[in-house]
Amino acid sequence: MTPKMLLLPVLGPAVLAVVLLLLPRTLRLVRDVLAVGGAAALVYEAFALFAVKDLRLTLPWLGLGIDFDLRLYHFSSFILIALAGFLLLIALYTTVKMKDAPRGREFMAYIFLTAAFANGAVLANNFVPLVFFWEGLLVTLYGLITIGGRATSGRTAVKALLISGFCDFSMILGIGLLWTVSGTATMSEISVEPTGLAAAAFILMMIGAAGKAGAMPFHTWIPDAAVDAPVTFLAFLPAAFEKLLGIYLLARISLDFFKIRPGSAMSLLLMIVGAVTIVLAVLMALVQKDLKRLLSYHAVSQVGYMVLGIGTAIPIGIAGGLFHMINNAIYKSGLFLCAGSVEHRAGTTELKKLGGLRRDMPLTAFGFTVCALAISGVWPFNGFVSKEMVFHGAVETGYTVFAIAAWIGAVFTFASFLKAGHAVFFGERTREVPAVRESQPAMVLPILVLAGLCILFGVYNKLPLTLFIQPILEGHTEAGAHLDFTSHALAVLNPIALISIGCLVLAFLLHRFGLRKFGKAALASEPIHNLPVLHQVYDLAERRVFDPYEQGVKVLQGLSTVLYKAVDRPIDFVFEKIVTVTGAKFTGILKKAHNGHYANYLAWCLAGLVILAGLIGLLAK
Amino acid sequence: MVLQTALLIGLVIFSVLAILLKDLLKSAISLAAASLLLGIIFFRMNAPYAGVFEISVVAGLITVLFILTIALTGGGHDVRESKLVNWVFPLVFVAFIVIDALVMKSLLGKVPALPSGTEAGVFGDVLWKGRTLDLVGQIAVILAGVFAVLALFRKRDKHD
Amino acid sequence: MIILFVVLPLIVAGLLPLVGKVSRRVLPDLLANATLLFLLVYAVVAGRALIAGGPVLQQTAWLGEAVNLRLALDGFSLLMLVAVSLVGLAASLFSIDYMEHYGAKANYYALYLVMVAGMNGLVLATDLFSVYVFLEVAAVASYALVAYGLGPDELEAAFKYLMLSVVASAFLLAAIAVVFGMTGSLEFAAVAAALKELNAGAVLAIASACFLLGFGLKAALVPFHAWLPDAHPSAPAPISAVLSGLLIKVSGVYAMARIFLNVFGLTPALSTALMVLGAVSMVVAAFLALGQRDMKRMLAYSSISQVGLVVLGIGIGTPLGIAGGLFHLFNHALAKGLLFLTSGSVQQATGTRDLDAMGGLAKRMPVTAAASLIGSLSIAGVPPLNGFWSKLIIIVALVQAGHPVFAVVAVLASVLTLWYYLLIQRKAFFGKLDEKWAAVKEAPFWMTVATVLLALLCVGIGILFSSTVTNWIQPAADVLADGVQAVTGSWGF
Repeated sequence: MTPKMLLLPVLGPAVLAVVLLLLPRTLRLVRDVLAVGGAAALVYEAFALFAVKDLRLTLPWLGLGIDFDLRLYHFSSFILIALAGFLLLIALYTTVKMKDAPRGREFMAYIFLTAAFANGAVLANNFVPLVFFWEGLLVTLYGLITIGGRATSGRTAVKALLISGFCDFSMILGIGLLWTVSGTATMSEISVEPTGLAAAAFILMMIGAAGKAGAMPFHTWIPDAAVDAPVTFLAFLPAAFEKLLGIYLLARISLDFFKIRPGSAMSLLLMIVGAVTIVLAVLMALVQKDLKRLLSYHAVSQVGYMVLGIGTAIPIGIAGGLFHMINNAIYKSGLFLCAGSVEHRAGTTELKKLGGLRRDMPLTAFGFTVCALAISGVWPFNGFVSKEMVFHGAVETGYTVFAIAAWIGAVFTFASFLKAGHAVFFGERTREVPAVRESQPAMVLPILVLAGLCILFGVYNKLPLTLFIQPILEGHTEAGAHLDFTSHALAVLNPIALISIGCLVLAFLLHRFGLRKFGKAALASEPIHNLPVLHQVYDLAERRVFDPYEQGVKVLQGLSTVLYKAVDRPIDFVFEKIVTVTGAKFTGILKKAHNGHYANYLAWCLAGLVILAGLIGLLAK
Repeated sequence: MVLQTALLIGLVIFSVLAILLKDLLKSAISLAAASLLLGIIFFRMNAPYAGVFEISVVAGLITVLFILTIALTGGGHDVRESKLVNWVFPLVFVAFIVIDALVMKSLLGKVPALPSGTEAGVFGDVLWKGRTLDLVGQIAVILAGVFAVLALFRKRDKHD
Repeated sequence: MIILFVVLPLIVAGLLPLVGKVSRRVLPDLLANATLLFLLVYAVVAGRALIAGGPVLQQTAWLGEAVNLRLALDGFSLLMLVAVSLVGLAASLFSIDYMEHYGAKANYYALYLVMVAGMNGLVLATDLFSVYVFLEVAAVASYALVAYGLGPDELEAAFKYLMLSVVASAFLLAAIAVVFGMTGSLEFAAVAAALKELNAGAVLAIASACFLLGFGLKAALVPFHAWLPDAHPSAPAPISAVLSGLLIKVSGVYAMARIFLNVFGLTPALSTALMVLGAVSMVVAAFLALGQRDMKRMLAYSSISQVGLVVLGIGIGTPLGIAGGLFHLFNHALAKGLLFLTSGSVQQATGTRDLDAMGGLAKRMPVTAAASLIGSLSIAGVPPLNGFWSKLIIIVALVQAGHPVFAVVAVLASVLTLWYYLLIQRKAFFGKLDEKWAAVKEAPFWMTVATVLLALLCVGIGILFSSTVTNWIQPAADVLADGVQAVTGSWGF
């Protein structure tokens, strides 16, 4: 295994993407085989690299400390496996779901290109290649959303690009500051105290990482994309890749670059962001009437657990956050793929139009149930394990308010999945529900694989924990600290687990209450929706009052209009008169300038001159 | 000294008049007067060539061109103006003059300068041999002017 | 024979009207483009070898007598020469098809070549007054070219442009006069040496302010920018490309940088003034661009904004900042030239510049749309295109030099830039195809060639940015970073 092999995960998918783009439509079978085969090869490569443990490739580049530096170690190799695995599943799924989509070929190419950039970003060990690959993801993000082909797809794509772009630019600033503070751009060599300028760098980079993962308030494009982008895209980027990349970077920032201590200001900041995200997003998810939108809000909410976990700065909490990252990717992706399967056969994902599909789509229903139980934190699935670890960590920090926020989140998560599952798969099958059958194997297989992983990582959690998560924490905890989480991971007889179970029961009761009151499963969340204060808040949220992007857009448009009217128009007005008065004849133009018009501009020039001269003269002293 | 100052003040006044006057003809003549004064100033400063060029080109050629154009276009009709911009330029201009005068006064005699070197030579020599690159530039400007006239006065058969 | 850069275009320009009488289209096209191609090849191939050992100075003899024809070619001049030839060639290739219906192509090319000669002369001059003369050469040619279409809008725009440029010229002359009075010479080397001896504080500040007004107006920095949004959109598309892509940089930024960094020396006062002007231009123009509905007007405001960024970068004064500023200057020349050319393609196909009236053109003009997308993403700073690298370098330089506020401003302006460029792309090219454009066709051959060429360069330089920076940008940045040493050391004849 030579270091140059590290280039394969980056260049391989990129080349494959170009090939896929160029293959004509008629060779669709070749394209599908190439895609799935290429993804499988990437998975194999990822495992091979994982076995190697440590590898580093350094190519001198620009001088000034900027090198093309790639580093494989336990964390990055773990993420590589995860990325490759999801790529394979999504590629397989895409061969069927996007078969007849007008731009299906581009979609396939874009996901490979995304994988190439993502691999590069994960492996990068120097800030400049990291930024290069990170930014490149923006391009494919935009392209993938526009493939949705709806009237508002373009607008959502722009929104996604701008919000992500803003987060990325913030990250660049943070990187610039960190570079200045630490004096080097090589990531593996950086470790600073988060005070002063470094604290500013931390916050900026945190914005970049958390924004990529989809935490509040940088999440507002995801629910829009849920409607405007293809559902396969949702399973790919917001569910899996972005979480993996964003939380990977967040973990590196909190564990490697900066020494975050429990109870410190930065830790509190992370925990607040996490807690707020959990609660607010799940409240929004609860009242959604479309399955895809519901799932997308949950995607945002689950990020909160990850951020909270890492923010506790307590080993079990951090481990929980990281484990949650991979678990969430698994079941969230599975849930979206189920939604896609339903959409593929039934043509819609609106809750009130569906019902009782479990008889006709048993495999999809099974996959959905498993993943839904996992995301709700039901024993013994993987979600339970990681959530418990996060709860333990949150309680251990002493700020129980965060644990309470997380539990509230758990209540509503389960309640909303009860509603969703009941409305789509269980319950009565009314006449208006279209006739469906189970989806093709290529679509069901990824769902089942993911459901299986939910069970595996839950019951046999020793495997992922010892293999993937625990090595990441080595070196970051005091000597002798208890690093083995597996022993009590599945224990239900401790107070924290009991409270969690209590939350699940509460959610179940809420669901039944809503069901009895309103009849249809799809309306089971209405009691919450119609609560006095919440109702107004929900209405405002629907009108996008809380969306910083939308508000920002309005402000900027207003500012631009003001500038245009106050500055530009008067200047233009000054000169408009000349031509309209003298007429369009060519010789007429050669008249002298008029008073008050040209002279005005001259006046500005003179004023500017005086100011500049004064400025330079004063400063020169 | 007094005469020089008077000439300079006159120059400024006629220049400002040239852009403030509403009647085109009076404005063109103002320009000619300003240029004449400037030419005289040049002569008094021992720059005869500059003075000659100034008077012949501006007070002569350009003024004639303007007057011809005004006559041919039947110009001279007054121009409508917007009232609210009438006062901006004079105000700023006056402010500029005041600030300028104060600054220049404080700098009088304090402008650092190297002792002037030897005379470079006769005007003709300097122009031809000393500043040949500028001559190339001048040729280029003349070419540009010729082509501009050719382009802007061309016969148009079809235009979009 | 670096004099060729000035003299060859002039000679060909002089011949063109005669040639034009004989052949209306083919020969003028051929001659003009061949000239520019020759200059480009010469600059690229021979240029680096020439300056490898230090700046090249030339003092020629005419007819046996030594005449004072002093030209100097160093890293900075070479970079500008390459930029001028490159974008100039692309725009003139574009003109082969675009200027068909304007008529009198030979005259057009003649003016065009005179403008190129003026820019080249400015870049090679070693003397303050020569800079002024060649600045005027390029300007006069450009006045006529802006008005070339002879429509009312074009004439008005050209007139405005002319009137505001003479203000610039006047103040430039005043500043030159002051400097001459103090130092007794106009040569860069002599002036630089003299200024070091003199303690010229206040007077130099006034002269600097006058230079800033003059060159700032040429570079269209806020608040001297008002002529550009009218002049650039009204001109024929290839001229807009050259004006926005080259002229404002050569007669504005190059002259400013050369004089302030190499002759005066960059003092903290000047640095602050440049950075503030740059930052203000960047932000104000970005906001103004957002509110535009006319495609070319939006591009024009964007030029003001990006030039602000270039000036900001150069104004930092550190080697990294200067390198970033110069790299962005080069990248913007390519990308803005590309964007104006594609806007010309769109205007010719649809007859309008109004963004709200367009839509879905990508389906009928895919190559133009792709090229335009590349140009937009390049200026917005998206990897892997060239603009990303130059913006990154400037932002990093700002942070490293201890100007975090400016860095934040630059980042925010970048987000705005990304936004309005996406707006152009979305409104013009993406979305549903309006029925009235159902019959438009892709742009004619030479227009497409020109845009594709520039687009490929944007991508190529983005990927190969490392070698571009070391081979072309770094020598230029070194010259400026050396400050006054660069001219006093080796330019004394």
